[in-house]
Amino acid sequence: MQRKDFRGRIVAGLSSMKLTIACLSLLMVLVVACTLLQVPLGTHLAVERTIRTFVVWWTPEGSKLRVPVFPGGGLVGTVLLLNLLFAQFLKLERSRRKAGIWIAHLGLALLFIGEFSTALFQVESQMPIEVGQTRDYSEDIRLVELAVSDTTHPQRDTVTTVPQSLFSPGKTLADPALPFTLTVKRFYENSELSMRQPTDPPSEATAGIGTNVSVREIPLFTVDDAVNSAAALVDVRLGPQSLGVYWVSNSLGAPQGFSSEGRDWKFALRPRRYYLPFSLTLKEFRHDVYLGTDIPKNFSSLVRLRDAGAGEDRDVLIYMNNPLRYGGKTFYQASFGKDDRLSVFQVVRNPGWLIPYLSCVMVALGMLLHFGIKLSSSLRSAR
Amino acid sequence: MKKSTRFYWGALVISLFIASWPWLAPAPKSDVPLAQIARLPVLEGGRVKPLDSFARNSLLLIRGTQSLPLSGRTVSAVEWLLTAMFRPEEADTQKIFLIDDPDVLGLLGLQQGRERRFAYWQIEPKRDEVGNQAQRASAVVASRRSRFQSAIVGLSHRLDLYEQIKNTLMISASGDPIDDLTAFATTLPAALRSIHAPKSASPHDRVAMKVLAQLLERYRFLARAAAFRPLPPREGEGTEAWSSIGASVLTPGGGREPHPGLASYALLAHGYRSNDPASVKTAVQELSRWNRQVQPSVAAQARYEALFNTAQPFISGMGLYVAVLLAVFAWWATRRPEAQAIAKGILFAAVLVHTIGLSARILLQGRPPVTNLYSSAVFVGWVGALLGLLAERVHKKGFAMAGGSLLGFCTLLIAQHLSASGDTMEMMRAVLDSNFWLGTHVVTVTIGYASTFLAGALGIAWVLRRQFVSSPDPEMTKSLVSLAYGIVAFSLLFSFVGTTLGGIWADQSWGRFWGWDPKENGALLIVLWNALILHARLAGYARERGVMVMTVFGNIVTALSWFGVNMLGIGLHSYGFMDKAFYWLSAFCASQFLLMWLGWRAGPLVPARSGREDSGRKPPIPL
Repeated sequence: MQRKDFRGRIVAGLSSMKLTIACLSLLMVLVVACTLLQVPLGTHLAVERTIRTFVVWWTPEGSKLRVPVFPGGGLVGTVLLLNLLFAQFLKLERSRRKAGIWIAHLGLALLFIGEFSTALFQVESQMPIEVGQTRDYSEDIRLVELAVSDTTHPQRDTVTTVPQSLFSPGKTLADPALPFTLTVKRFYENSELSMRQPTDPPSEATAGIGTNVSVREIPLFTVDDAVNSAAALVDVRLGPQSLGVYWVSNSLGAPQGFSSEGRDWKFALRPRRYYLPFSLTLKEFRHDVYLGTDIPKNFSSLVRLRDAGAGEDRDVLIYMNNPLRYGGKTFYQASFGKDDRLSVFQVVRNPGWLIPYLSCVMVALGMLLHFGIKLSSSLRSAR
Repeated sequence: MKKSTRFYWGALVISLFIASWPWLAPAPKSDVPLAQIARLPVLEGGRVKPLDSFARNSLLLIRGTQSLPLSGRTVSAVEWLLTAMFRPEEADTQKIFLIDDPDVLGLLGLQQGRERRFAYWQIEPKRDEVGNQAQRASAVVASRRSRFQSAIVGLSHRLDLYEQIKNTLMISASGDPIDDLTAFATTLPAALRSIHAPKSASPHDRVAMKVLAQLLERYRFLARAAAFRPLPPREGEGTEAWSSIGASVLTPGGGREPHPGLASYALLAHGYRSNDPASVKTAVQELSRWNRQVQPSVAAQARYEALFNTAQPFISGMGLYVAVLLAVFAWWATRRPEAQAIAKGILFAAVLVHTIGLSARILLQGRPPVTNLYSSAVFVGWVGALLGLLAERVHKKGFAMAGGSLLGFCTLLIAQHLSASGDTMEMMRAVLDSNFWLGTHVVTVTIGYASTFLAGALGIAWVLRRQFVSSPDPEMTKSLVSLAYGIVAFSLLFSFVGTTLGGIWADQSWGRFWGWDPKENGALLIVLWNALILHARLAGYARERGVMVMTVFGNIVTALSWFGVNMLGIGLHSYGFMDKAFYWLSAFCASQFLLMWLGWRAGPLVPARSGREDSGRKPPIPL
């Protein structure tokens, strides 16, 4: 009996209008906080800390404490979605008069689901190509991976990659493709590398370029376009024997290498790569300006799309407001450089990209219908 | 005809006549055909415009006004431009440079007195120092500059512009363009002889070569310094082949005759400089005739834009909106139907003038109505006034009229201030260059701003009325609250659709539907706030007082998302960066909070128990 009463109260609470208003108010506070925090933190971090989290944490200056200060966007969004569905299905009459509200609210629920799906499934990466170059992969500049290649064979390399998520100090990584193991001794998400000065303490690396370099951990960059310089101190071991302790970093240019048991190995920390089953070749990049000014008029890239598997081999023009959608990914003209010889595409994989289009139409139609009904009845009563 | 109908039409016709006065008024007496000169097409800032637009925008940038008061008369922008180009000695003594910053004045060694504007000759001794300081300040990111740094960069830009103007059609106060052109034509064959066959060249040819070298140097300088390109493409040339005087002399284009405009502009310069109105007239007639023959559409476009500049519909509109407010107040005070009819007539005229101005901009620019911050202000006012006019037909108590015209006046005033930052029909940056998305996303989102403001204006009207009127008037109150409610619903529809359309545009051009960019967040806040008002009223938490006070808060939300987020200086939408407006925005928000407090303290007019505005209904049921 008591349990039933408790359940009834939960349901009543979840479907109450008070909860709607509370959630909308909390959401407004979160959006304002997210906007203001972008000034010191940059967009990515501000969104991660206020919207794409269940709790907003606050760490007082100079302490390791994490104090929960506010419900995060994930929590408020989930509660609002539940509230919407509960109220909708339990309280709202199923009549023609309320059809508009039904359509609009279901569209809104879809929009929430779409945003959750984006948060979970969207993968963003970049693909810089110089004129004449061909690429079949894109890179996520926020994440790194350790690529270990067996370069013994003169024609082809065999590459094994270790994703950033496996890099925790003290962890030993082994792979059947590798005769040796890798022990991560240190890992910094962002660091500053400098040539080692005579006064610096001795380097922890015993081999490779790392013996001449000082590595210092620094906080993550907050400017949106700045690339963090990750660094890892890795001990390469063949059984009990160490083949060398190396510093690897995405800001060290050329890969480092060694030979062991007659095979040549090269390895480097590089931006996380996503290989595509097709390739793009940049044929031409154009950057037009308005006559007599330096106001950009258009950026466009003419690329050759080649997909042997699907039998595609054609030219595609990618320009502002006109991306290429192919193979579940979308390629946007994002940036350019090197005296207009380099074009950078933003590559996005978002399986739920159509959801907002649908929900936008539903909410708009629903509101039109509902307010239309209301307006016509109020005009009729005014007459 | 009923008496009030006569008043309505009378007010309408008189208002329209007053609004068209700048057009109908006889041109001020002048020896030179200023109106014709104003219509000459030139290319500047990436687009073709009449000389009049260039002159107005330049004077706005430099002086902050579109005309120049000078010894008891008003000098038009074009006349000022002609003086600067052809009689720079005179222009240098005109006090046109607006300098407010005390540190900049200190740098220039000028006293801060009653006069805030200074002449070029007063600044000239320190010109190099201004340039150096501006260069240092430019190294700092715009959003991080100190007040002095922003001011010195601004002054340096304005000085650059002024100096470019002086060196566009002729080198500032140096030589006579006709003599230069003739010398160039006569020395060229001799000089060429001296170049191709140096051995057989006569001493005369060698002198010619020296003269030519000097002339080439002068024309190269003109090609570099020009503020605009006055010479339209000739027959057979592409639409982009506009050139400056210097560039046209240096590269006449594959053995062609010199551009006919060269001689005409030289005659214009000569005539104006030597006070010879007849020559000026001949030169302008030649130029106009040639433009009409060779570039008829360009000439027509420039003519229409010059006409639009003269008409100043948004300034007349501003005056008419004030007149509507006064008439509405008179109506409320006297309760005479004539005053109501007059208010309606003026409002109709004001909306008509505003509509004509807006349509003219759309036609001239070939773009949807909202393309930048300036045009968004014009559009917000138009939507607000139009909605007010329509709502008045249902509501008939004057609140919609007052709210709409208040909004129309305020936004046109804001637009007037925003226009001082340069050409209001500037070219669109690459990502914005999409008429489809400008016409859908930007227009709907701006309609959302406008109607949220209109609801807020009704809220303000309620608060103010509440301060003076204490007798409960249930019918009036009910009508006002339901009108505000309807407008909030309208706002929710448009701000939601506008915001999601923006998301779809973002998905098309940046690869994500929603990026939590400041401007996107601002639009989302408006949607959330309107949704909150509707739900609070449905649930019965907000009734008369609650809804009206909440709509006033909507003003703050909208103002912050319209202007406030641009001041953060971050994000993909910060094309309309502005810093001076910060204090105005803070003052606006403070005033709205004050109004909310006043309204809340005064309490609802109709006690909730006895006469709830939706008294016919049962107690509120969710949804």
